[in-house]
Amino acid sequence: MEEVLRRFTEVSTDPYTSLTKWKEQTGKKIIGSFPMRIPEEIIHASGMLPVVMWRGNEAVTMGHSYVHNFNCGLTRSFIDDAVRDKLTFMDGMIFCRSCLQAEEIPSTIELNAPPRHFLYLYLPPLYPGSAFRDFFIHEMKRMKESLEEWSGQEITKESLENSIAIYDKNRSLLKKVYELRKKKPGTIKAREMLAIVHSSMLMDKEEHSRLLESLLPELEGRKEITDDKISVIIAGALCQTPHTAILDLIEEAGMVIVDDDIYIGSRYFANEIHSSGDPLEALADRNMKKLPPDPTMGDWKTLWTDYMVDKVRENKVQGIITLLIKYCPPHLCYYPDIRRRFVEEGIPEIMLEVEHEVVSIEQIRTRLMAFIEVIRGGV
Amino acid sequence: MAQEFKIDRLETTRLIGPMVDKHWKGLRTAKERGEKVAWCSGVPFIFAYAMDMKCHFMAGYSAYCAGRKAGEHVLEIAEKTGELQDTCSYHRLHMGMAEAVKRGYDVREDVILPIPDLMIAGRVCPEMSHYAEALYRKFGIDVVGIDLITPYQESDYPFLEKYLEQQFREILIPKMEKVCGKPFNYDRMSEILTVLKKTATIRNECLEYFKKVPSPWTLWDYGVSLAPVIYLMGNPESIPYYEKLKAELEERSKNNISAIVPEEKHRVFWDGWLPWGFLGHFSRKITSYGANPISGRYPWEMFPRPDLIEPEPDPVKTYVKALYSGGMLGNNMAKPGLSLVSEIIPEYHIDGLIFFTAKSCRIWKSQLTIMEKMERKYGIPGVTLEADMADSKMFSEAQIDTRLNAFFEVLEARKEKRRWV
Repeated sequence: MEEVLRRFTEVSTDPYTSLTKWKEQTGKKIIGSFPMRIPEEIIHASGMLPVVMWRGNEAVTMGHSYVHNFNCGLTRSFIDDAVRDKLTFMDGMIFCRSCLQAEEIPSTIELNAPPRHFLYLYLPPLYPGSAFRDFFIHEMKRMKESLEEWSGQEITKESLENSIAIYDKNRSLLKKVYELRKKKPGTIKAREMLAIVHSSMLMDKEEHSRLLESLLPELEGRKEITDDKISVIIAGALCQTPHTAILDLIEEAGMVIVDDDIYIGSRYFANEIHSSGDPLEALADRNMKKLPPDPTMGDWKTLWTDYMVDKVRENKVQGIITLLIKYCPPHLCYYPDIRRRFVEEGIPEIMLEVEHEVVSIEQIRTRLMAFIEVIRGGV
Repeated sequence: MAQEFKIDRLETTRLIGPMVDKHWKGLRTAKERGEKVAWCSGVPFIFAYAMDMKCHFMAGYSAYCAGRKAGEHVLEIAEKTGELQDTCSYHRLHMGMAEAVKRGYDVREDVILPIPDLMIAGRVCPEMSHYAEALYRKFGIDVVGIDLITPYQESDYPFLEKYLEQQFREILIPKMEKVCGKPFNYDRMSEILTVLKKTATIRNECLEYFKKVPSPWTLWDYGVSLAPVIYLMGNPESIPYYEKLKAELEERSKNNISAIVPEEKHRVFWDGWLPWGFLGHFSRKITSYGANPISGRYPWEMFPRPDLIEPEPDPVKTYVKALYSGGMLGNNMAKPGLSLVSEIIPEYHIDGLIFFTAKSCRIWKSQLTIMEKMERKYGIPGVTLEADMADSKMFSEAQIDTRLNAFFEVLEARKEKRRWV
């Protein structure tokens, strides 16, 4: 078990090395895919490896000559990696429109450190009207044709269905790990969970599923650790990895994370497809589902706050910790509603604003201790 | 003693204030007359105008409110009611205004907006739709969403035009008909476009005077003249305004009168938003160096190709074409923006580049890359000024002064090498 978890952690913390090695071993191409909405299955069906773009572990240096410092960590870090030639193992990159910063990365990279294959997709919001689903399918066809033309490999219906099945299987396995954590809180540390999900975004899916299948029975054998712990869920961190140091801090402070609502978490594997009809339409339908609510998608009717409150109630947790990425406008614009709603519901909530480089750990520790006191004191 | 410079203001631009005030007053008092009101981000407001529905234009209102020096107060209300500071200041202005009107907080009367019956969320940038989503959640205000994509590159125009036209026809027009309780008025839309086409055509003739050295007008003059080619669209007063402006520019040009007196020392390109809340402040700073901002990506995006507008027989189709093929949407994106800036620099004899960077708005893409590429291509210096359109908390006066000093020193030093004159 430790070996599998170590492997996941290595992939998550140093994808540069693991992906370069994978490429040397397989001779296959790697395509970077912007987080959240791009259907990786189409890339997979073209015989290439899709990997979800990430925020690196180093401070941004050269990147600040290309992007203003008041952009989110993912934007600055990814551009920094690209202009420092750290991403040359990526044969292609596919971007999409989800916030203004997601629009900043592609042009800056294309104009300064262009990959061999480049594609920009306009993925529509979840507005009412068939025009939006039609357009999503249009964009999927454009993506498919672009990959076929570049790779020289046709993406057949069968290959796409096969990729969807492979991805569905991985999603169902990740879901099992999450169910296990809910059932036996404390059995899986938050940083381990992060590594498990994050590595799925950065590895061959079939290999990841095989490793997960071997890991699951071992995890089931772990003992539940809940003695006098405050149960919480974490939410936010929309497209980038939260700092593992903060996750550790939450646990060290005496809390146990039972579930989450973060992208490198339960949002990544939500909604299996089980396609029976046109696979592109099936991918569109998964991507245009209203749950989990996504503040980048413009759906004003499905309330994210309802979803979060349901998660708190369903998991019977004592509080919720919001991880708000600095300079993340979709989350920042939504947060006043979140704060208000949790006050109304009487659910303890704390917001931790997190930045790419500097995280004031001691300040966060103090705030978390105060949060625990509020929960214990029933204030 | 250092030379003192000032702007020789145009007479015509003094006429714009009353036109703009009349527009906002008409909107502010609409409810008293029993009229319906819409708020709109992006350019779909024409569909409300065509139905004789009073409609605001998000960026235009924000510029007006900030320009009237009422913005900071509304931003404070937003902050007090829970809005976070790193969000778009236009978003916060609207959240603050809605809170103020709904809860009766004190706000200056001339900038008050009535609570809308409908919000047209034109998703030019995703953040421009967040305020509509938030106001629906907060106050249950009706929303219609339009995905108004800014194009990554020119080759994408055909399918983006098709997508937008489908949304206008299948979503926005039926919604307007439902809200207004009458069929969509295509004839009125054609009339509005006829006025717009004429106005933008004369405006383009005015822009030609920027090419003259010295220039008879400044980008600040054009900035305050933008309303007739955007949210005053269809207002018949727009045409005589630009005719008068053109005549004044022609007169100045004939007599070789410079807008910067005693002389135009530097001609600079101004990228990004105009600093609406601090226009006088910035214009005095830039003028003090004898510099005239001549052109920029933002003012150049207001219907630059009126020749493509054919008001009849299909106003919807031609409007969509004017937005994409006509170059209205896209200057903010890096690739179309890079081509535009690259053309503007030699055409308008630009000596230096100022990139105004709004800390609460990231819509102007890859500014640092564009600056670097233009510096290399034309050998002219560039500088970035970090500030905001409306929120003074977002900038440091001293940092701006230091940067401008250094920038104009470099400009001065390179003057001998200037290739245009």
